[in-house]
Amino acid sequence: MKFNVTKEKLLEGLQQVQNVVSTRTTLPILSNVLLQAKGNNVHLTTTDLDVGVRGSFEANVEKDGATTLPARRLFTIIRELPSSEVQFEVDGKNAASIRSGQSFFKILGLPEEEFPPLPKFDSAKVITIRQKDLRDGLRKTSYAISTDETRYVLNGLLFSLKDNKLTLVATDGRRLAMVDIELEFPRSHEVDIIVPTKAVTELQRLLTDDGDVKVSIGSGQIAFDLNNTLLVSKLIEGNYPNYRQVIPSEAKERVTLERETFLNSLRRVSLLASDKSNSIKLNFSKNNIDITANTPEVGEAKESLAVAYKGRDFSIAFNPEFFMAPLRALAEDEVFLDLIDEMSPGVLKIQTPFLYVLMPMRISS
Amino acid sequence: MDENYAQLWQKLSAALKPQVSPDTFKRWFSAVKLIQATDDSLTFRVPNNIYQFWIESNHITALQTAVITAFGAPRKIRFSSASDGLDETILPEIPGKQFSGDNSRDAGQSSNALGLNPRNSFESFVVGPNNEIAHAASLAVAQSPARTYNPLFIYGGVGLGKTHLMQAIGQYVGMKKKNAKVMYLSSELFINEFIDAIQHNNLVKFRKRYRQADLLLIDDIQFLGGKERSQEEFFHTFNTLFDGHKQIVLSSDRPPSEIANLEHRLVSRFEWGLTAELQPPDVETRLAILRKKAHTLGIKLRDETFEFLATRIRTNVRRLEGALMRVASFASLSGKQLTNEVVEHLLKDILQEEARHAVTIEQIQRRVAEHYDVRLADMTSKRRPANIAFPRQIAMYLARELTKASLNEIGDAFGGRDHGTVLHACKLVKRRMQEQDNIRQTISFIDSALQR
Repeated sequence: MKFNVTKEKLLEGLQQVQNVVSTRTTLPILSNVLLQAKGNNVHLTTTDLDVGVRGSFEANVEKDGATTLPARRLFTIIRELPSSEVQFEVDGKNAASIRSGQSFFKILGLPEEEFPPLPKFDSAKVITIRQKDLRDGLRKTSYAISTDETRYVLNGLLFSLKDNKLTLVATDGRRLAMVDIELEFPRSHEVDIIVPTKAVTELQRLLTDDGDVKVSIGSGQIAFDLNNTLLVSKLIEGNYPNYRQVIPSEAKERVTLERETFLNSLRRVSLLASDKSNSIKLNFSKNNIDITANTPEVGEAKESLAVAYKGRDFSIAFNPEFFMAPLRALAEDEVFLDLIDEMSPGVLKIQTPFLYVLMPMRISS
Repeated sequence: MDENYAQLWQKLSAALKPQVSPDTFKRWFSAVKLIQATDDSLTFRVPNNIYQFWIESNHITALQTAVITAFGAPRKIRFSSASDGLDETILPEIPGKQFSGDNSRDAGQSSNALGLNPRNSFESFVVGPNNEIAHAASLAVAQSPARTYNPLFIYGGVGLGKTHLMQAIGQYVGMKKKNAKVMYLSSELFINEFIDAIQHNNLVKFRKRYRQADLLLIDDIQFLGGKERSQEEFFHTFNTLFDGHKQIVLSSDRPPSEIANLEHRLVSRFEWGLTAELQPPDVETRLAILRKKAHTLGIKLRDETFEFLATRIRTNVRRLEGALMRVASFASLSGKQLTNEVVEHLLKDILQEEARHAVTIEQIQRRVAEHYDVRLADMTSKRRPANIAFPRQIAMYLARELTKASLNEIGDAFGGRDHGTVLHACKLVKRRMQEQDNIRQTISFIDSALQR
């Protein structure tokens, strides 16, 4: 195998795939990236057996071939190369020679045959989504995915295909984020699947604002085809809890908040939220919210915000981090906060189908 | 009883209502039913997993406070969701290491894939007075996992059938409920996999693997002793499974309280369900085992030979079967008539080994002296500071228990003491064994070392 390529293209190609690379050493092959040169392209593949990514870059291929090389090492070498021109040559024993300017590197790889192939999708359900929509949906929900390993079905994002809608749901038990994406697909494609966190994170990195993504759902696995890049992942097996039960049906008070202003206020006040209770209090009164936090023996913070509010006076406490996460992820100028009382969950909404349920914390006083 | 629970629930609801919003109560607690109440725990039935999950995440403090208000003291709260249990939704097996993600191999999981020996079934287990309880308990557990005794703890000496019973449970459940996820392994494997998981930063996988089991069988749990982090990990696995109403079966060579360096919280959990002991079989049971084994292997021997084997090999079923095999193969290879002399000659080494179990007083003295680091001469000397006198008393006690020697003979062997002294020593040791766990452990340790 032999090819010439610019440093930038090679680096870009490696960046797409290298995050997946396994850190476990039981199977050394998994810390390698598979390089396959053919025609005018070099394909790159990495996998940790749960998630796999396949990308490519254009190159001037002089001799076809394939090999696998340690991904992290290769990446750090390429990043440091002095010149923009890179000559890449691999001999029959999987030893790669990399020449660039005055530098010469030789790194030893493993044969292509040892690399586990990405799974085939034979009887898959295929749907097409606009990349922008999916990226948007993932951004609005993925931060609420649970990291509690004991509830493994929650360690992923629910993709629920139903009634010509793709619903994305993430929850960790104290909050729940949900997005609906309008989508056309046949009834036979209706299904609920759970995509693991790692795949969601990788997918977010790969999605762009243009073009479509083709999603193939097979038994126990899913593939996202983004023109040049393919991401394959195992699905989490099990039943996702019935999340609709969590969503409050009615709201007593609605407040319209300027997202950015509110977020900034929260961030400032939360500096004095105690490590222990980690809560901030929202005190509602006519046309005003006082956001307060205090830590015994440290100090307190307070900020007032003028809002249109005509309901009764009351206070409710939330975990500031949980409140800020959706505000950071959203792009809208205005958000709506629906509340019932100080013991019931708050719901954050925007104009488009999005919903964030947040459990209040107990106010001890 | 149900009505009773309904009343309790009413009382509890009344205490709970002021603590949560009406909407919350209606949404999460109106569908909850109290199905079991004991002095220290309450079990609630919820319609599905989201209830348990959401209540545990958000309303557990409120519920616990209500429990204290209603009943005066906190109780352990458990949930059972209607879709729980082996009968219905079974979590699918975690996919294997291949990337292919195809699940075909997970579905048709045969017993052998679990490392279970198909020969170890309930049918092939010979029941005698020595193992009746363990057998009955195992059968009950196999027939309705997590409903009767959970956890089931089986203990007994080497070669008495612990593994046989565990594997029988595993296979019974595996056969009856095709999609139940049965896991059988030794505690050593558990520890190794745990270490491996730590090493490779793989704990998530490790946990998932074990916490998804519907039936977890762990053999030789005593090896967890002294492995602190493994114990902690196992503790959490245990709790997850237990709270999820999954059956746990454990085996060991000694009762939970005597496993050295085992954390108390584990000991108490092991003793939670049923602890069943396997004792060495009596002569009739041994005879039955031999006949059954001979029958399955198609061996024909004279009654006399069976009896000879049964009376001479007492301690260990595995050895008994080995002897049978040896005798049978000799008979079929040589074609000679099997007289007791021939058999005796054939099994010389085994019988010698057995005979060694006739422990002598001198061996006991030596062993005890060694253990307590006193001189052997001190066993017979007249000196009696506490650090010598007590080991000496233990040795007398063991001599009384393990040999057929009379009180007088024992007294003589300990430097010409009279039988009253020996009797006093036995009583004293017995009493202190009851009072102090560590003494009991030490003595059972010396005891088992002597029997080896």
